[in-house]
Amino acid sequence: MRYLTRRGGLFLVTLLAALTVNFVIPRVMPGNEATAVLSTFRGVNPAALHALEIEFGVNVHQGLISSYFQYLGNTLTGQFGVDAQGVPVMSEITSKLPWTLGLVGVATVLAFLVGTLVGVLSAWRRGGRIDATLPPALFVLSSVPVFFVGLLLLYVFAVKLNWLPLGSNYSLGATPSFSLSFVGDVLDHALLPGLSLTVVTAGLWVYSMRNNMITTIAEDYVRMGRAKGLSNRRVMFDYAARNAILPNLTGFAMQLGYVLGGAIVIEYLFSYPGLGYLFYTATTDHDLPLMQGLFLFYTVAVLVCVLIADLLTAVLDPRTRDA
Amino acid sequence: MRRFKWVILAAAACVPIAVFVGTSGPATAASSSAAVGGKLVIDNESGSTWTCHFNPFNPAVNLTANGFVYETLEPVDILKSGSSAVTPWLATSSQWSNGFKTLTFTIRQGVKWSDGKPFGAADVVYTFDAMKHDKAIDLNALWKADGGPLTSVSLKGTNQVVLSFSSSSQPYFYYVADMTPIVPQHIWSKLNQSKLDAYNDPSPVGTGPYLVSSCAPQNIKYLNNTHYWQSTPGHPVPAIQEVDYPAFLSNTPANLFLAQGQAQWGGQYIPDVHSFYVAKDPAHRHIWYPPVLNVSLVPNLQNPLLGQLAVRQALAMAINRATVARLGEGGEQQAGNQTGVILPTYHTWYDSSLPAVGYNAAKAEQILKSAGFTKNSSGIFAKGGKPLSFTIKTISGFSDWDASLTIIAQELKAVGISVTVQDETSSPYTTDLQSGHFQLAYAGSGGPAPIAGPSPYYELRGLLFSGNIGSTNYSHFKSSAVDTLFNQYSAASPAQQLQIIHQIEKTMVTQIPFIPVTEGVDWYQYDTSSITGWPTPSDPYAQPSPYVFPDLGVVLTHLRRS
Repeated sequence: MRYLTRRGGLFLVTLLAALTVNFVIPRVMPGNEATAVLSTFRGVNPAALHALEIEFGVNVHQGLISSYFQYLGNTLTGQFGVDAQGVPVMSEITSKLPWTLGLVGVATVLAFLVGTLVGVLSAWRRGGRIDATLPPALFVLSSVPVFFVGLLLLYVFAVKLNWLPLGSNYSLGATPSFSLSFVGDVLDHALLPGLSLTVVTAGLWVYSMRNNMITTIAEDYVRMGRAKGLSNRRVMFDYAARNAILPNLTGFAMQLGYVLGGAIVIEYLFSYPGLGYLFYTATTDHDLPLMQGLFLFYTVAVLVCVLIADLLTAVLDPRTRDA
Repeated sequence: MRRFKWVILAAAACVPIAVFVGTSGPATAASSSAAVGGKLVIDNESGSTWTCHFNPFNPAVNLTANGFVYETLEPVDILKSGSSAVTPWLATSSQWSNGFKTLTFTIRQGVKWSDGKPFGAADVVYTFDAMKHDKAIDLNALWKADGGPLTSVSLKGTNQVVLSFSSSSQPYFYYVADMTPIVPQHIWSKLNQSKLDAYNDPSPVGTGPYLVSSCAPQNIKYLNNTHYWQSTPGHPVPAIQEVDYPAFLSNTPANLFLAQGQAQWGGQYIPDVHSFYVAKDPAHRHIWYPPVLNVSLVPNLQNPLLGQLAVRQALAMAINRATVARLGEGGEQQAGNQTGVILPTYHTWYDSSLPAVGYNAAKAEQILKSAGFTKNSSGIFAKGGKPLSFTIKTISGFSDWDASLTIIAQELKAVGISVTVQDETSSPYTTDLQSGHFQLAYAGSGGPAPIAGPSPYYELRGLLFSGNIGSTNYSHFKSSAVDTLFNQYSAASPAQQLQIIHQIEKTMVTQIPFIPVTEGVDWYQYDTSSITGWPTPSDPYAQPSPYVFPDLGVVLTHLRRS
């Protein structure tokens, strides 16, 4: 219980610090929404600057301290305001959220599964064929920049072979529904970006899992399991992997938090309208309400996931509870 | 494997759910005659998915509303000169009087709004008056309270609108007749008048050729307005029934989409366009890039070194504009000239008697030497211990500008001037330029710049008029003589206006307030395999890009199936 309260208190303090940083950073960035509109959209008469400043409420003099407390109040009551194009920030985020969760979330999970599995198998048969080929291959792939892999896949499969679409999350003119054809269309569009992400991040899990497994396999209880006559698979997964995965699991829980930031580069490359891409446009458009809303969302997601990771560790590994 | 089950379940729960923010406006799908049909797909990268808001006064969303749904009084084609450039549209004629202080429009009869209600002069009066109640929609700063000359707009008789200005305002015709979308009074007057800029307008009602049939973040579908005012029996306008406008988040997918032939009308910058786009179907695919606005090297005249004429002359003569245009812009933009007058678009305004300030590296060095500069140990000219070493600010992501600047840097280095390129994203770049927080800047068409108008007056005034310091006069050029010339233009006759522009061109070549390097263009690709009626160099009836308003509406009314 004490662990929980202590942990919860730390969460709140970190959240407040993050909120303060979220408040300060967009305000010290040079430029404002009005100049962003002028510089982004063609055919806008520069004489419109004053009109745009009125529209966005730029240069409205309000003390920093009072606007800080107003910001905190708005955040806690869930009032995130309206973005530069007049769309409520919350609905902008919720409309893009499923796409990022789907693409980046699934890719992260898959990468974790693949990487961990490869780590387990290669540690079990250390020096074997799997160990000699897969971990190094995945590791090399993880050091290649994700945009390079994405570009390569895009060029080969979408441009040259024309097997897969060029980008976006579903075909032009398709109506979203739960029909098989639409779901198939979505998967079709998610394949290349998902593959790029998975291939590049899988390697991150391989070596840590493999090394953990190797130390765990040397433990007495594993030998005990073998001595009991249990099958190789049973010992490998239920005795060894289950304990070896602990550090990776907390890392994975944290990684899930980062998912909500979206994979900005991949979303930009494949024109995938998710949260990552929204981040990018909000920043270049200097869209204050949207930036604040997104930063907050992202920060809270990461903090919550870190909290869950800590709690998971406490649940799964009793040794940490007394600390 | 038990440990992994919850992970798999969690993953399964994250299967994308298609939640949708889309609205559907009323659509009249039935075509009135067999002549209407076909589909046009537009390829113009907008940088974000559509919000399905169609407020014509919000620059962030109006490129999908203006031209399609909303129209203007009289579009002015800047690619033509003289009276043939003005096309009667919602106004059948216009007349200046009272020394260019009164502008009277005669409004077209028989036009209907897309909801069936009649359009009239009262709607025009309302549109202009609304800007007084919500200054955020006075995007051209027309009214006196916003710094412009407009003092009143009133109804005259049943079908005339009279605009009164406090001083001679010829150039304002372009903003009033070409750049102001007209909105229906019967809908807009019911809204909160001080917050019209915040109105989302999800189902726009206008006089234009198309109606918004359905809107999703990926794509907007327009259907022809069967009651459009230009239609006559047996000759329906528009002739193309459906228009699709997909949203592209970045250039690469937009360019690929166009290259694959999935769109017919493009407004894209495509590197190596001939092999990437045209070569795939040269019989039907065409490009035309009419030059409209300069891309220039802008010195900050407040800088003690750049404030010296000799330094600017050397800069102007050290740059081989033809090379920059060929290698930096891939030949897609032509070389500019020091007068600042875009050729051939404004050739009637060009003063060919002026000395050309062209590429002459030897002369550039000589000018610097005569001004007392000597080369220091690094080979850079310096005077009084201060070397000619500058930073050039540019917008990050503009690959053609970066390429041009690489060449410019090399050419300047050869002459003994050292420059370093500094990339910034567009918003801080704009702030820096407006506040004079730079030494040299690469600025113009594509970035924040004056808009191009029917004569070089608009661009030149934007860059040289002292009242525009802090807005588009980045160099902070200040000359009362030039200011007076610009002011005189408003009341001058066409012959006098030509003389005024000639004198400003003379200032450009003698004082070199900025250095035009290449001529920025309207990006335009078109495919004639299914659609014809496009603007071409031999028939430049409108600015051809799908992002130029109101010209895009003019193009839409000309297109038909081939």
